[in-house]
Amino acid sequence: MRCDHCLASFPAKEVVRLEGAAGAARPAAAPGDGPPGLARPADLVFCCTGCRGVWLLVNEEGLGRFYAERRWALPGRPVGQVAPPADLSAYAVTPADGGAAAEVDVAIDGIHCASCVWLNERLLQRTPGVLAARVNYATHRARVRFDPRRIDLPRVLSRIQSAGYEPKPWVETAQAAARDAEVKDLLVRLGTAWFLASQLMIYSAALYAGYFQGMDQGTRSLLEWISIGLAAPVLFSAGAPFWRSTLTGLRHGRFNMDSLVVLGSGAALGFSVWQALHGGEVWSDTAAMIPTLVLTGRYVEARARRAASEAVARLATLRPREARLVRRGQEPSTTPPGAGAPRPSAEEHGGRGAPPADRLVPVDQVRRGDLVRVVPGERIPLDGRVVEGESEADEALVTGESRPVPKGPGAAVIGGAINLHGSLVVEVTHVGEQTVLAGIIRAVEEAQAQKPRLQALADRVVGVFVPLVLALAAATAAFWLWRGAGAERALLHAIAVVVIACPCALGLATPVAVLLATGLASARGLLVKGGDALEVAGGVREVLLDKTGTVTRGRPALRAVLVLAGGSDPTTAVAPFAGRAAGLVALAAAVERRSEHHVGRAIVEAARALPAAPEPEVTGFAAVPGRGVEAAVDGRRVLIGNRAFLEDRGVPVPPEADGRALPFEGAGDTTAWLVWDGAVEAVFVVADPVRPEAPAALARLRGMGLTVSIVSGDARATTGAIAALLGVAAVAEASPQEKRSLVAARQAAGRRVAFVGDGLNDAPALTQADVGVAMGRGTDVTMESADAVLVRDDLSLLPDLLLLGRRATAIIRQNVFWAFFYNVVAIPLAVAGVLHPIVGAAAMAASSAFVVGNSLRLRSTFTRADAALARPAAGGSEVLP
Amino acid sequence: MNLLGLIILSLALGALAWWGFVWSVKSGQYEDPEGPKYRMLDDDDDERPPAPPPPDGPPASSG
Repeated sequence: MRCDHCLASFPAKEVVRLEGAAGAARPAAAPGDGPPGLARPADLVFCCTGCRGVWLLVNEEGLGRFYAERRWALPGRPVGQVAPPADLSAYAVTPADGGAAAEVDVAIDGIHCASCVWLNERLLQRTPGVLAARVNYATHRARVRFDPRRIDLPRVLSRIQSAGYEPKPWVETAQAAARDAEVKDLLVRLGTAWFLASQLMIYSAALYAGYFQGMDQGTRSLLEWISIGLAAPVLFSAGAPFWRSTLTGLRHGRFNMDSLVVLGSGAALGFSVWQALHGGEVWSDTAAMIPTLVLTGRYVEARARRAASEAVARLATLRPREARLVRRGQEPSTTPPGAGAPRPSAEEHGGRGAPPADRLVPVDQVRRGDLVRVVPGERIPLDGRVVEGESEADEALVTGESRPVPKGPGAAVIGGAINLHGSLVVEVTHVGEQTVLAGIIRAVEEAQAQKPRLQALADRVVGVFVPLVLALAAATAAFWLWRGAGAERALLHAIAVVVIACPCALGLATPVAVLLATGLASARGLLVKGGDALEVAGGVREVLLDKTGTVTRGRPALRAVLVLAGGSDPTTAVAPFAGRAAGLVALAAAVERRSEHHVGRAIVEAARALPAAPEPEVTGFAAVPGRGVEAAVDGRRVLIGNRAFLEDRGVPVPPEADGRALPFEGAGDTTAWLVWDGAVEAVFVVADPVRPEAPAALARLRGMGLTVSIVSGDARATTGAIAALLGVAAVAEASPQEKRSLVAARQAAGRRVAFVGDGLNDAPALTQADVGVAMGRGTDVTMESADAVLVRDDLSLLPDLLLLGRRATAIIRQNVFWAFFYNVVAIPLAVAGVLHPIVGAAAMAASSAFVVGNSLRLRSTFTRADAALARPAAGGSEVLP
Repeated sequence: MNLLGLIILSLALGALAWWGFVWSVKSGQYEDPEGPKYRMLDDDDDERPPAPPPPDGPPASSG
């Protein structure tokens, strides 16, 4: 028996019942829960009084919907059933405390909230032998320090497992590690620069006061040298990366942001030294502030980027890395001696009694010819051929096909597809680089390598600006020489031009705007990876969308019930108060509740929307694979199945039903025929419905002046029907590579393209597109190859993303202008030779304040957009007629 | 000289703060900016029986 609250299995004699609960919110038992005929929904069963108490509490609070909304039907790993981790070698245990202790990093899967972190920490800390355990709230990484003489790694891991969490090796990609190191390095540099700059400001303030009020030469000289001494390390130590980057840039004959920093700040410092020696005003505060502000911008940028990629990395840990190995293959060439020998017959599958214990092994240890078991709800680990079992596979993520594909012995299965119901034993035919999945990933990498990185706007401007400033400085020197000034004086004025022209706020122009925009985006449920993605999103002219899972929900739902006129009326017995269509759905749901087929699930799901009613008695339930289900309801035979099922049973298809079902079938929908007492009563149409928010979202995109079309791997009829419904153009039956070349073709026509998808089959196109947008429920590869992720899995975020991109681009442009404005205004003063350091400091402060203030205007993006939109109409309800 | 002494003192204090900052970065104090706000709410009272684990369901998205 299964508890209606916690879904735990328990022996029937311990049952705690709650009778007469049928009137209350019925817990929507997942289809197929429990053995058929045992659980009568009118009675609720619980494993303990505690669960009954919680169930009552939840319903008393009016929160009974929880039981309908939760998705616990997917088989997870039962709590307490502790399987030893497949591969301990992936865990990096490092000695700590001089060998007295060991330390290991573990990624804990299944952490959702702060109390999960709390629980894991406490659990580990109370484990004898564990010295310390700390879980990072942001990354879910547990750092466990234990005494290897008292406890070993598997026991530490099983402790985590026993609480229902999944320990995984903490693998940090070289890229992520480098990024973390970069952020850390930047933080130290930034702190150093700000410390020195703030100290420097005290002396600058004193010096400025001295200019106006007078200061004796000795004190002034002392303060000047101290300020130079403080500015020099900012430029040479904290600012070391600028020098390195400038040198590499110069070797390629390019000026970038860093060369401007080095040029302006270096000129200011050199100038200051010369002035201090000869008794003029020093510029050391300018020399220090330029690198400090630019470093601030860099740090802000790096943090925003890391936050986005961290979130994606966390989603990526969901990938299955283990396979249930039933038996090693017999191919001697592919397996080392010993391991290749067939296992003893006790482990062979096929005997009655308990199934053999499968070994969990890492996917990369599986070889060709091995037999692996795939239990329902699990991803098929590798490409292969079914040798045993009947099931259906959801290959939508790989191929884009929205309907589950039946799989029997001999059928080929693709790694990455989900096994829906029924356990399969698969003989692996392809591993490693030969799998379909690996081919797609290769295509992604190829597209990634070809994708040009957008040069930031600030860098593009600087490339022009630096030569201009140098020319202006040269012209200034020439002008003063021509006026008859000494070479020394002319040079000083030229340097002053370089110093004042260097806009330190330019370093803030992009990062501050990007930080605000990405923060705004993530509050909405949008993950944007980096500023250039935003900038490109602003320039998008054309949007291509994948169909399955992107425009549609990606799982079938009941679309229509075709009720046939005449005939006997079975519904009066079932739900006399509801309409006939509703009654038929309730009847079908009562039968299909025992089935795990996707059509059945869609009908059961639809029945949940109906008022609760006593369920008719269903007996003799049987499922016929590939055909349908049959049972007896109140003693009369009910069949629900496809046309072939009707043919098998010799049920005539009434012409009326035929005529009404054909258009739906032509559009690629699945039909299920309800036969009551040997006559067809109704036809259920099951289809992957369009997301309710899709029509409004697509209309908004068109309203923004974008061309929108659908590209799908699914059949022509299905795709065409959806496209016609939404009023957009469509391309059907496109392979992953075709999708990519389609995007490339539009790009070749000079248009910036955004591609939106959720499947692996979209990954190459996502990478090829200027902006790839992945749905939040997509695969990890998809999210990895995308520039932005709609974390909330809500298509209406797509116009938001493009809008934010447009707005952020506009703000960045304005910022760049304001960053230059005050400095450029002050250039004539420098040319005229009357520039005072206070003017430089004021220009710097004013432009920085303007850039930050202007960026803050981004915050109004969505409030304005939402007001203009006046709430888009919620898409029409899609379920019942 | 009195002024020079004060300057050296202020620089020394600043240097101390800077050293503290660099130490805190190196020892990883900025790696988990999320945690402290929850940790301060934790009760360290181990007399109490530990709270039952939260249901390991989907993240609470619906009310």
